[in-house]
Amino acid sequence: MIIENIINASVELFTISTVILMAVGVVAGLIAGAIPGFTFAMAVVLVLPFTFSMTPVAGLATMMGVYVGGLSGGLMSGILTGIPGTPSSVATTFDGFPMARNGQPGLALGLGVWSSFFGGILSAIVLVLVAPQIALIGLEFQPWDFFSLVIFALTVTASLAADNLLKGLISGLLGLLVATIGTDVIFGLPRLNFGSEALVQGFQFLPVLIGLFAFSQLLNDVRDPEMARSKISDGDAQSIKIEHRKAAIAVLKSWVNLLRSTIIGIFVGILPAAGSSISNILAYDQAKKSSKTPEKFGTGFSDGIIAPESANNATAGGTLITMMALGIPGDIVTAIMLGALLIHDVVPSPSFIADQPVIAYSIFISFFVATFMMLGLQSITLKGFVRITRLKMYILASIILFYTAVGVFALNNIEFDMWTLFLFGVFGFVLKALGFPIVPVILGVVLGSIAEKNLSQAFAITTDLAPFITRPWSLFFLTLGAVSIFFPAYQKSRGKEKWTLAFIPVFVMALSPSVFMMDGVIRPYVVAPFLLVLGGFMLWRRISGGWVLDQDDTGALVDAPDPSQLDE
Amino acid sequence: MRINRDVIVAIALLIICALFINASFRIKEATFGQMSSALWPRIILAPLTILSFVYLVRSLLQSEPVREKRGGLSGWIGYYKNPIVCFFLFFIFLITMPYFGMLIGGILFVFAMLTYLGGYRPRDIVVHGTIAVAAVGIMWSIFTFGLGVILPSGEIIPYL
Repeated sequence: MIIENIINASVELFTISTVILMAVGVVAGLIAGAIPGFTFAMAVVLVLPFTFSMTPVAGLATMMGVYVGGLSGGLMSGILTGIPGTPSSVATTFDGFPMARNGQPGLALGLGVWSSFFGGILSAIVLVLVAPQIALIGLEFQPWDFFSLVIFALTVTASLAADNLLKGLISGLLGLLVATIGTDVIFGLPRLNFGSEALVQGFQFLPVLIGLFAFSQLLNDVRDPEMARSKISDGDAQSIKIEHRKAAIAVLKSWVNLLRSTIIGIFVGILPAAGSSISNILAYDQAKKSSKTPEKFGTGFSDGIIAPESANNATAGGTLITMMALGIPGDIVTAIMLGALLIHDVVPSPSFIADQPVIAYSIFISFFVATFMMLGLQSITLKGFVRITRLKMYILASIILFYTAVGVFALNNIEFDMWTLFLFGVFGFVLKALGFPIVPVILGVVLGSIAEKNLSQAFAITTDLAPFITRPWSLFFLTLGAVSIFFPAYQKSRGKEKWTLAFIPVFVMALSPSVFMMDGVIRPYVVAPFLLVLGGFMLWRRISGGWVLDQDDTGALVDAPDPSQLDE
Repeated sequence: MRINRDVIVAIALLIICALFINASFRIKEATFGQMSSALWPRIILAPLTILSFVYLVRSLLQSEPVREKRGGLSGWIGYYKNPIVCFFLFFIFLITMPYFGMLIGGILFVFAMLTYLGGYRPRDIVVHGTIAVAAVGIMWSIFTFGLGVILPSGEIIPYL
């Protein structure tokens, strides 16, 4: 069955035009990812209108190319200029830039490229193996479970706003509210349109997303008149040659670090809303903590490049697992992909892989192929990157701003969509200026209709609210949601206040009742008792240790910026 | 207690909530089904109103008012002058779309953006004009001829 699906998907995917489109996508992603202030998510957003006229397979393969390319592109500017091209490459600059300054820019780039490659390939393997299994679990889900999953996705996104949990939650709710404007998804009745005929159809998801994300970001990029008029970067990398052989050997020698970082990347990716901007910093932090020579980190140490770069590419596989298996986007890019699938009348859900095997497997294969393409095309785009960075930001921003209008119009051929773009561009810009995170708004808009449909289905079955806590998966996600709300307080107080010592043990134990209620043998009779015993053991160790705070355990990551500030 | 930016934002959020709650009572009820069309918006509005109220109280109780680094409203406008002007230019671009169409309007919009952000020297104006014509022309051609999208045309020059 799997072989048959792979063959069928390959037939669709490996046409000359699709392969060329993928290659163009990878190059575009590499260059977009390399330009500071121009994240790869924006590149995926901007590519979307072009994919509208393509087949679903060709369109998604192109977007996958941009995604994989963009994840790796950030390392170029991070290593050569010290300014990360995307938030996914922040930690890469900690050692990449010093290594380049120490006279080894070719090796630094090579380490980044090969780590990205191995991280991507390993995560693609996990994606192929795990996504169908998670989709099987997803088939156990009933409307209550999906609704609770959406609640968890929103709370975890809001909690990533760290100090601004309140603003994060408000942002998520605003996103949900925006999704209710127009027509009721269940009965088709107009609602909350304030008498406007134009609003009866509601706001189309993609113009909202492009407005909130790309439009407002572009105007942020030109806010400072001096910065707007200066070249994007003064880096000169034309004479640099990537040292592929030496770098590949170094990466393989550091296989433990590579594997650990890849696992971190995949795990972070699977979590709804947590993206590569977080995984690269977490992986760097863990690599430093596990290293025999932590003092070398920050001085141009190879492990400091391998960890973040393998983790950020691995995150892509993780986010795709969540999207393809459960129909829940893991980050902005997968939210856009979800939008792209909906344009082609494909609705991701637990039965997506079984119902649409050609599209699902073409996503798997294109992720693999794009990773190989990224490896080959990095050297070529290095020259392109240098040329692009000679442009001034205001020129790029002005042209792209116009392009967003054309692209948004092309999606549905409706002029109102350009007004939607404008309105949400202003809305996104104002929210950002007031310190509200944008990602929860976007996920709120995407997840709003999913939540409402499932709630309606749940009420159609019974008006009793008890299933939200008596159904195992629903309780599981609500528990995770509750924990994610308290997580920012835990992170802030970790190592400073004694209650934090009980947080993780209690969290682990709190999961066991829901797991105990699940079907089968392993989960209720092995996993649930294990979680209970593990939590109890952790608690006992802390009590027997005198309930004393570990002075080193401050919870602070390496000298890294607050991940919540990195709006991907 | 002092009025600061957060207080104003919280009040604005509460006003938005009030407007939406009011509008939710004017949603038609379906005669079938278990869940009314107004229920989901109200489920969202209830926590949003509560959180906005918490935000208001927290902002009012803030011991140290948020310092306006940019010196009040005029400072804020000065700080965000570029985006404000760009938004205005985009607004003009959209409102004049029926007259100029996507191609001419687009060239004018990109040229205006470039010239405002990049400078008004004669050389700059020539460069910006060239970039605007080339970039918009190429994009318009790709979408019109390559992707078969019929972009809005204007009254000034029909079909463009």
